[in-house]
Amino acid sequence: MQNTSIIQPSPITYGHIAEPSKIGSVHGMAVALKFGNGDEESKRRQLIGIADISCLSRFGVKGPNAVQWLRAHKVDLPEERNSWVATSSGAVVLRLGNSEFLIEDSPTSSLAPSLASDPPKMFGVYTVRRSDASLVLSGSRVQELLAEVCTLDLSEKALGKNAVVMTQVAGISATVLRQSLNGETVYRLWCDGTYGTYMWHTLVEIAEELGGGAVGLSSYFKELA
Amino acid sequence: MKLINCPINGVRPVSEFVFGGELREMPDPDQCSDADWATYVHHRNGAPGLKKEWWYHAPSGTWFIAERNTMTEEIVRTYLFGQEEEK
Repeated sequence: MQNTSIIQPSPITYGHIAEPSKIGSVHGMAVALKFGNGDEESKRRQLIGIADISCLSRFGVKGPNAVQWLRAHKVDLPEERNSWVATSSGAVVLRLGNSEFLIEDSPTSSLAPSLASDPPKMFGVYTVRRSDASLVLSGSRVQELLAEVCTLDLSEKALGKNAVVMTQVAGISATVLRQSLNGETVYRLWCDGTYGTYMWHTLVEIAEELGGGAVGLSSYFKELA
Repeated sequence: MKLINCPINGVRPVSEFVFGGELREMPDPDQCSDADWATYVHHRNGAPGLKKEWWYHAPSGTWFIAERNTMTEEIVRTYLFGQEEEK
């Protein structure tokens, strides 16, 4: 059982090149809410902003009956494999391959904890432990960054609106999607948490060369400011 | 860049894939002769030609079968195990 009095570090914690100016605890995880002062951060973000959102709750489930189990819990599901949908509360539901799902909440939704509180007991449904590093990237030069680290074309023309891509980013297996968040096009990226430091370091270094860099979680989710 | 068509994820660079060995049918250990079992365990056919092989798409965790000509390095087709007829 999770002990809520313990604040876990984010998988990115030891990868910060610059110290965050504000750290907060979200869902029991210490994450960077802000880097530098607001003006510097918004300037960076216009070119390329990368934020660590690993603190958002997530839940994984797979198996031949996973669809049936999720439907019984009234979760909106993508019909196609390798696609995603957003729920009305802002959570994202990713269909990874045919029969595996990743659900990640927004800061205000609580779909993942509610599913985790009633874990699957039926045959053919298995919980997948998720310990991802989760990032969000955006900005006018983000395509240049992605082109440097990924062999696939992730531009708006090539990557479908609701497509989920499992590929390698900076040599690491990662899951990527494109989303409109508060009217802005952003990329969401998940990789194994143990690679979080490496991934963060690699992306932030390239972003800094392009004029961008690390930004805090509150820059994408104002409710956490 | 060499490309492989993953049956789930589509065409991807070969760097995303891991070779998993030749697809070999295991004889029934209770029924087959010792010689047949020894052949299955110890012998491999290294002659170049069209082979069925296991390949793994690492980012998505997908195992599948590729029919690959090891002489010409041409991948003829790929499919999920057990879904050969559907392709």
